[in-house]
Formats: sequence, structure tokens, C-alpha cells
Amino acid sequence: MWRATATRKCSDGLTRRDLLKVGGIGVGGLSLAGYLRLAEAGQLRPGGQARSGILIYLNGGPTHLDTFDLKPDAPSEVRGEFNPIDTNVPGVRICEHLPKLAACADKYTILRGVSHALAAHEFGRAYLTTGNAPLASLRFPGYGSVISKELPGEPDLPAYVAVPRTPEVSGYLGVQYTALSTGAAPRPNQPFSVRGISLRQDVTTEVVNRRQSLLGQLDGSFGEYARQDDLLSGLDRFSAKALEIITSPRSRRAFDISQEPSEVAARFGEHAFGQSCLLATRLIESGVRFVTVDYGGWDTHRDNFGILKTTKLPELDSGLAGLFTTLAERGLLEETAVMVCGEFGRTPKINANAGRDHWPRAMFVLLAGGGIAGGRVLGASSEKGETPAEGDGYSPDDVAASFYHAFGIDHTHEYHEATGRPIMIVRHGEVIRELFA
Amino acid sequence: MKTFLGALILCVLPAATLLADEPERPASERFAAAGHDAATPDFQKHMVPLLSRLGCNGRACHGSFQGRGGFRLSLFGYDPAMDYEALTKSQTSSGGTLVDADEPDSSAMIEFPTDGDIHEGGQRFARDSWQHHLITTWIRNGMPGPAEPPHVLEQLEVTPAELVFAAPRQTAQLRVVARWADGSREDVTCLCRFQTNNEAVVEIDESGHVTSLGPGDTHVVAFYENGVTAVPVLMPVSDQVGEKFPAVAARTEVDRLVLDKLRKLGTVPAEVCGDAEFLRRVSLDMIGTLPAAAEVEAFLADTSPDKRQRKIDELLGRPEYAAWWATRFCDLTGNNPQQMGEAAFRTEQSQQWYNWIRRRLEENAPYDQMVAGLLLARGRQEGQDYHAYAEEMTSYVRKEDPADFAERLDMPHYWSRNSFRTPEDRVLGISYAFLGLRIQCAQCHKHPFDRWTQDDFRQFTGFFRNATYGVSREARDDYDKLMEELGLKGIDGGQQRRMMVQMARDGKPVPFRELFVTPAPAGRNARAATARLLGAETIDLRKCDDPRQPVMDWLRRPDNPFFARAIANRLWAHYFGVGIIDPPDDLNLANPPSNRELLDHLAAGFIQSGFDLKWLHREITGSDAYQRGWQPNETNLLDRRNFSRALPRRLPAEVAYDAVIQATASDDKLAKWAADPGQRAIGHASLAGASRYAMQVFGKPERTTTCDCERSSEPTLLQSVYLLNDQDTLNLISSGGWATEAARRLTPAARKGREPAEVPDETTNAVIREAYLRTISRPPADEELAACRGHLAAAATVQDGLRDLLWALLNTKEFVVNH
Repeated sequence: MWRATATRKCSDGLTRRDLLKVGGIGVGGLSLAGYLRLAEAGQLRPGGQARSGILIYLNGGPTHLDTFDLKPDAPSEVRGEFNPIDTNVPGVRICEHLPKLAACADKYTILRGVSHALAAHEFGRAYLTTGNAPLASLRFPGYGSVISKELPGEPDLPAYVAVPRTPEVSGYLGVQYTALSTGAAPRPNQPFSVRGISLRQDVTTEVVNRRQSLLGQLDGSFGEYARQDDLLSGLDRFSAKALEIITSPRSRRAFDISQEPSEVAARFGEHAFGQSCLLATRLIESGVRFVTVDYGGWDTHRDNFGILKTTKLPELDSGLAGLFTTLAERGLLEETAVMVCGEFGRTPKINANAGRDHWPRAMFVLLAGGGIAGGRVLGASSEKGETPAEGDGYSPDDVAASFYHAFGIDHTHEYHEATGRPIMIVRHGEVIRELFA
Repeated sequence: MKTFLGALILCVLPAATLLADEPERPASERFAAAGHDAATPDFQKHMVPLLSRLGCNGRACHGSFQGRGGFRLSLFGYDPAMDYEALTKSQTSSGGTLVDADEPDSSAMIEFPTDGDIHEGGQRFARDSWQHHLITTWIRNGMPGPAEPPHVLEQLEVTPAELVFAAPRQTAQLRVVARWADGSREDVTCLCRFQTNNEAVVEIDESGHVTSLGPGDTHVVAFYENGVTAVPVLMPVSDQVGEKFPAVAARTEVDRLVLDKLRKLGTVPAEVCGDAEFLRRVSLDMIGTLPAAAEVEAFLADTSPDKRQRKIDELLGRPEYAAWWATRFCDLTGNNPQQMGEAAFRTEQSQQWYNWIRRRLEENAPYDQMVAGLLLARGRQEGQDYHAYAEEMTSYVRKEDPADFAERLDMPHYWSRNSFRTPEDRVLGISYAFLGLRIQCAQCHKHPFDRWTQDDFRQFTGFFRNATYGVSREARDDYDKLMEELGLKGIDGGQQRRMMVQMARDGKPVPFRELFVTPAPAGRNARAATARLLGAETIDLRKCDDPRQPVMDWLRRPDNPFFARAIANRLWAHYFGVGIIDPPDDLNLANPPSNRELLDHLAAGFIQSGFDLKWLHREITGSDAYQRGWQPNETNLLDRRNFSRALPRRLPAEVAYDAVIQATASDDKLAKWAADPGQRAIGHASLAGASRYAMQVFGKPERTTTCDCERSSEPTLLQSVYLLNDQDTLNLISSGGWATEAARRLTPAARKGREPAEVPDETTNAVIREAYLRTISRPPADEELAACRGHLAAAATVQDGLRDLLWALLNTKEFVVNH
């Protein structure tokens, strides 16, 4: 135990170079043959297959009991009004109001019994979008910020887009890793313009060029010094890139969902969430690194079942199923990791207003793509969905570590925040190996 | 003597030290040979510092909270007792202990760190070195543990006290002597850790050997035990030092102190900037507002010699001053509506907090009084019963004729925040805001760069345990009764809040929780009954009505090393873009001021003025140092810490947002908008008021963390996108604003039957000049004027041309930068 263990990385995202190193290690290390044997048995599996990512954030805290973790055998004050149905994966059952998702359950994995202790929206959001329990002295960066930092994007596209906004913050990584927020969600059959990116009708490329040439004549007052000063040279650099994005046909095409065939657009559903999922798909296809879709309305303190049945579940069903199947059809799912989560689950016991309240002790998370095996249920909640069935279940930290693992990002990697303090990307999580097996 | 070659060493040692006995020789000499009869090494004085020095207890090694290789030490040696336990009790993989009392040389504690092959951390010292002998001597002599009570380090004396180099590759040797409370002294150079604060200027090796690398000034720092001593190091950037320094008049005391330092460095300051540049700079900095076009014209036309000073006085009296600085003080104190304790009235209470501070600034209340209003706040006023309290709090939120919260003497919301409930959170927040200290390290382990220990942290929390936000025992019945009367009892949270808001709006008193203070526990538990001020005395809390009072008394004391310095330094950093201590919220011993005399002058003057904030603003902005141009010369191009020229800074989020509005607004709109800073981003209590998106993109702090760095000043891609093509910006340029208004002036009305008259050149020039004054606050240069005229002439319509012009000016670097 005092010996240097050069193989300790094996359990954590082996690269080809590491593999060669493994081969070179003699006694005490793991032999190449041994590694391959283990790998075949599914115990070791490299992450890093994902090149882009999507976070579907179900803002408000979606109920687990009425969506992906039904308890048909629980007493009626817990069970609720909905019944489970079979999916296209034997043994996996989800809510009857999610038929389209049931038909593509092989595309995603359900984590049940994800558990934490922060029952306030703000804290839960901060936790679930970063994998770090919030601290008073530090703001952790969200998934999109970390991933767009680690995997820089294309020059003429924004790296990280939020539709219409995101609860993620860039935190200690700084504002340069903030999402470009579209400000509005696309609506079916309507032209969609993205704030800052789309050109308005009165501002054609010609107008931009004309203005740019005038700007070139007026912006010389710092002279030579503009190149010597970090701030001034940074302003010039970003301004050039911004103009490139604004005038690039590629970025405009990426945001133009009207270019999708109507049968594809219809599959996502004629509502803002569905069209947001369609936009996310298009953006990923165009080369945007990370997209967050913020989808609210899940804070069902009252009339839980009415709200779910009439709007939330049908919308979620078509939007999400559209996303999974379209990504898969276009060969993008293999390199696009998708996470679907909210800030917590909801109380097993139905309250007096036919609602459910905040319940962080047990919740669900969906993960898909990017090397994450689909068609599974991992973890479980207890009989009444109150706690993880066994032990502490999965923590949001574990979920985050696993999500990063899909991108080949070592979640124990350290950044330095402004005071120089070293901070791991995820401070306490463990990669959930079964996801990649 | 190669060591001192060419280096001018200033030995500024107190006379007493020179006369004192020679200190104990360094351990490296005393333990150089094996089998000598040197005294037993002391655990606290030698063993732990040696482990630190060797890096054993670092974060990447055995200091990690998980340990390493099955062996764990306390991080940076914060817990000697734990380290003693670890060294004497830990098992190795073969089942033995780390130390072998029979054969000390074969101890794992020697074998591993001397053998890079078996030790993952590599070889830390050689066999038969003094380190080896020190450890084996300690083992052989019975492994004595940490002294109880611990030795107290009084001072870490470093010689020379200052290093001045003339050229690169010159060297010097530091000598570090520890002076303990019992009067004993020891040369501990070999047991210290050293660091340089700027690798481009100077390097220092592990034995305290210093080598100059390039021009500039910085510090090298010695760490030993709890001692931290920084030694200034300087190498002139030019030969214009001392006598050869050009004659630059020192107009104020600030200038004298800045020039003293520049003279040593050979850094020649930039010229004082022009009037237009000064006006733009001071307006943006001091009131967060662009000067209006007419204001620029008037200032340029004014020929009186004291016009800059008068302008400063005028700005300090403007409502925007209080509006903007209230925002800054809300940043500092953490006014975040999301955190407000009374969920039903979050926005209102956040606004009340803002208004309360703004009022103090309008009235220029002394800074210490304003801080006391926060730190010593209570929910109820003296003699007020609970019902009257509920009535009072309701009166601030009722719809009709609400009472003015700013009239209150104190501001209890500071303590109601969810993020401010534990004594630890309170220590972090208060240390950050009022002491400029980042003390969070010491919450879990010894601060790696400062003297603070876990015990210091814990002892300081004692003052903040007795203030509670909730329902006090004595008010419980009244509270419950009121809840019941209003039918609020047993109703779920959301519904209850909605009902409360409605009743309060209607003026019906609703129950509020309150901030109350209980006396410190008397009697048995003596430890809980005392608390210690940071770096100062222990206080018996049983003698205080309010345990927070001694902290406030301490802040106000003229000998408090942090309170006045922290705010003086923060204001300086606001005006210069860099603090005298930088980052400005990191006052620690290893991060000394770049100009100690200057900070001392500001802090002393501020205290002397009766903590008058406007005195500080005047003293700083009235100096030539603040009023210099940005244009660099050969000697100051790289200066970012000695204030030899102005550093361009990106406008803060709120200021940038307001500036776009102001620059593009029609004259009518401008008049209305300017009259009420509460409608502007600089005067909003929260993110919600202005464009939330713009605030995020430009980095307005959310006030969730205790760090000045939460406010961003970096440029980013999205900021450029925002100014180039965001709907906010484009709408302001195109719809009904100044461009439309000005277009009318350039489009003469066509009279019946006649050709429209030519627009005279002067009119076109005046419009272009106005566009310049509105945006970058100066008249256009001749070639700029010509370029603009050319563009207007070529444009399809006058309106198009003017919109282009505004757009271009808003997107110049000159616009978004304060320079």
C-alpha cells in the first residue's frame, strides 16, 4: 500500500496512451491481457465517447412517482392516479401517459433512488446542475460551462446555448462560460429568432457590413496600445468572433427550425417544449457543444394529476421521445450525452390539494447517449418511493461524475477559483460504472 | 561573497534585535552530523515545520483529507496532536509502525522519504542529511509530543528587511529567526517555506536564496509555524531612479506617496489626462453614469482652475452617487432577495435593505455607524412589544402610504438571510465584508498563507452565536395568537404566503419573525462564554448585553488593522481597477500592500475624518494619480500595481447597460430617466429590475458568495454579441430615440413648391459632435468627423446613417471601457 500505483487511473477513463502504459507495467501492475479481460467483462469501460451534450432541466422538481418510478402496489395515498405501462424494454415500466417514451425506452437509462437533502428549489437547482452541494463561499459552474470549457467549440458558433435560459451559472469559471440564452422558446410553425444571433429584417448582412466598416474607422483611438492591453485586445477578439457568428450562414441555419421537414417537427409536438427539443437537436447537429432546455411547471403542489395528465406529461413525452429518436436516427446519440432531471422528487404522500410537495430524498434522473447504455433501470427507491431502496442510493454528485465521464472529463480534475483555492469539478462523486457497462 | 554581488541590501533591523543574544543555531547545522549530542528536537518547533517544509503535509500528499498511502497528516500542520498520533501510531502495509524506536535509521519514516523508488512522493531528503538526523534524534530521545500549552510564536524576523536589486541574476540570502513568547530565539531558515509573489521579478529557492529575474517590485514570503513575513523586493525598471527621476509635482499627499514609490522604481508616471477624459472617468466611477452631452460641453468651456475639484464635490452630492454606491454596498453585504428570510416579502425586504443603505449614503452617515446599523441590528426597537413590531414591519409593505424603512435606525435583514444563519457563515460574511479577509480556509485547517488557525476561526464564531432570526420564546404566544386570528395556522406554505402578502398589502398587521439576541450562557461552560477577536483579545461574553457589541467596538478602534484599510483599499480598487492590496478582499500577511504608506495614509485619514466615506472619495479622486492618462511610456507600460497611469477597465454591468440607454435616448426620455436613479440599473435592488439577461452577460454579482470576484470585469463573446446585435441594443438605436430625433434636424421640411434647403455643414457637424459626446464623451477628432460625414452622405437615408453612427460608437472599445 506504500507502493506507487501507476495503474490507479485504470478505473477512470483509460485513453489509448494509458492503455499502452498498462501494457508496459510488469509485476504489480495490471497486465494488458488482464485489462482486456476486465474490459470485456464490463468492469472497465472508457468514457469520453460524448462530444456534445444536452441538459433537459425539469424546473420545479418533477414527481418521480407519477413518471418514471411508479408504485402500483403502494397504498392509494401514495400510489396516485396513474398506472404503469410496459415499454419496449422487457421489465421496464413507466407511466401510462408517456407512451412515446415507452416506445423508445431502449434509448435511455432511468436512475431511480437518486437522493439528497436540499428541499428548497434554489439549493436543489444549484446541486443538480453542478453535482456539488451549494456552498456560501463559492458558486460552482454548471454542466454547460464546464463542458464548453473542456471541449471548446467551433469559431462561428456559440459553444453553449440555453433555450430559453438556464438555471446553470458559470460560477467561478467566469462569465465567459455563460450560456447564450435564446430568451424565448421557439413556437410551432413560427419563425424563430435568437437574441443576439438572428439578424432582424431591418438589419441585413449588408447593413452589418456597412456599420462594421464605419466602426473600423472610428475605433482607432487606443492605437498600438489596443494590442498591448489584455482587456482591449480581448474586446477586439470577441467582437470579431461575434460578427463572424452573426453573419455566418451556418449559425443562422442552426437556429432555423423551420428548415426541418414537417413530419420531423410534428414528432416533437406542437408546443414550446417540443420545439425547444427540436432546436436542441438541430443545434447539436450543427456543432454547438452544449444545449440546455429549461422546461418549467413541475412544482405541482396542487392538482398534481390534472396538470400532469393534461399538459406536462404529453409535452414531455413527445418532446423527449422526439429528441431521443431523432438524435438516434441521425447517428448523433452515440456522441451526445443527454441528462434529464429537476431539482428533486415529490412527496410520496399526496397532500390535501391533490398535490405533492418537495421531496429530495428520492428522485429520478434520465441519462442517455454518449456511450451510456440505454434500456436500463439502475437503482431503486423504497416501497413507497420515500428513500433509496438500499443505502444512500445515488447522489447528484455521482450523477454529475458519470455525466462528465461520458465526455472523458475527469470529475476529480481541479480548477482554481479566484482565490487560488483548488476545487475539483465534482467534489464528492463516484462514476456510476453500470451506466457504461 | 558572490551572494551580495551588486545587490544593495537594506538592513532595517530594530536596534534591540541587533543587541540581543545570537539566536540558537539552525537545525541544519546542529543536526548536520549523526550521533552528535544536540538537544532533542521539539515537536512543534522542529518536527511539524520540517514536515511542512518537506511538503509531507501538503494537500496533494499526506495532508489530503483522505491521506496518502494509508498515512495522513493534518493539512499544513494545523493539528500537531493528530500529527503526533499519526507518526507514532500509523501502521505500514507490512504491519509495522512508522517509527522504529530500536533502530531509528530503519524507520519507515526515514526509509520512504529518502527513497524515490518506493515513495510515490519521491525522495524528500537524503540519507544522512540533517533532516534524517533531526528525525532520528527525535525518535532516539523518546519521541516527545507537542508541548502543552503550545509554544507561542511572537515574531518571525527576516533579514534583510528589504531587497533592492540593480540587475537580473543578482542574489541574496534570507535569514529567518523565530522569536518565541518565552524570549528564546532560533534561526529557523532551514525550516521555513518560501514563496515569491511574482516569478517574473524574483525567484526564491527552498533554502531562502533569492535571485532577481527582471524589473518590477513584489515580495518574497517566509512561512514558519504560524508566522508569515513578507519582504519587499524591488528592481528598477529604468535608470530614472532617485535623483534622476524627472521633476513631477506632488499635488496631494496621495501623489507624494505614489511618487515616492515610482521614484524608487524609475517608473515615470503618465501625464494628467484631458478634461473630457477626466469627466467621463470620474462620472462613470463615482456615480455610475455617463456625463450628459451638455455637461461635457459646459465642463470643457469652464476655465476655472478648480473645476475638477468642484466637479467631484458636485458628483458626490448627486442622487446617482447614493444610488450607485448603495448597489456596491449591497454587493458587499450580500443583499440577495433569494436569501431573504421572510419568503413572502423577499423582494420588498431586499428593496428595504437597499433603501436603508442608500439613505445612509445620501446623508453621508459615518461608515462605522452604517456598519453598526447592520452588525448590531435587532428586530424590535427598545421597549417595543411583539404586536407593535408586527405592525411596524407590516407598515413598510402595505400598499397605501407605506412607512419608510430607511428611517429605521438599524437594518436587521442582514441577519435574516438563509445563508447567514450559522455562526460559521456569519464569520465568513463579516470577515469578508468588513475586514477584507478570506478566512474560509481556517474553517477546516490552518490558513496556508496567513496566520489564522482553526482555533482563531472557532473563537471568533463565539460572538455570533446569540443572534437568532425566528420567533423568540417570549413572543411565541403573541405570534401564535396572531397566526390564529388571521387564519394562517395550519395552511400550507405557498398559500399562507399569498394570504400574508394580501393582508399586509391591505395594511393588516401580519406576523413577522424577528432578529433577537440572547445573552451568552453564564456559569459552567466557560469556553462557550468567551470569544476571541481575530488577532486580538479574548472577551468575556457574560459581561455583554449583546455579544456582537465587542466586535463592533473592535472594528471602530483606531488600532484595528483591517476595518478602515479594507474599505479604503476597496474604494481605491474601485477607482483604479486594482487595489493597493490586490485582490482587494484578500488582506493577508503573504499578500502585502504594494504601497504600505499610501494605504496607511488613507486608513488613518479616514479614521481621523470620523469614517467619512466622502473624504475617501475626495482624497482618492482629487489626486493626480487618479487623473493620469492611460497612454503608457517606456517605463510604465507594464505597471499594473503602482498607479503610474490609468488602466482601461470594462464598465460594470449596470453602468454599461445604463450607458447604452442614456447614449441612445431621445432628449425627452433622457430627462425623465435621469431624474430617478431608482429606475436605472445602477439603482436597482436586484437583478430583476434591469434586463436580467444583460446583467448576467456583463456579470452583475448575484450576491451568493463572499468574494469581490463575483462581479465580473472580463470581456466576453456574449457581451460583444449584446452590443452588436441584441434586440435591446438594436431597439434603442432604431426606435424613436436620439437617432430619429436628430434625423429630423438633418432633414429640412420641404416647403410647398420649393426644393428642400441644403442642410448647413455646421448642423451636420453639430449632430455628429452630439453623437460623440453622448457615447464616448468627447468631441470627434477632425478625421473622425470627416469619416462620419462621409458615411452620412453615402447612407440611403439620414436616419439610416445616424443609426449606423450610433451603432458604431456604441461598439467602439472607447465606449464600453472606462479609460
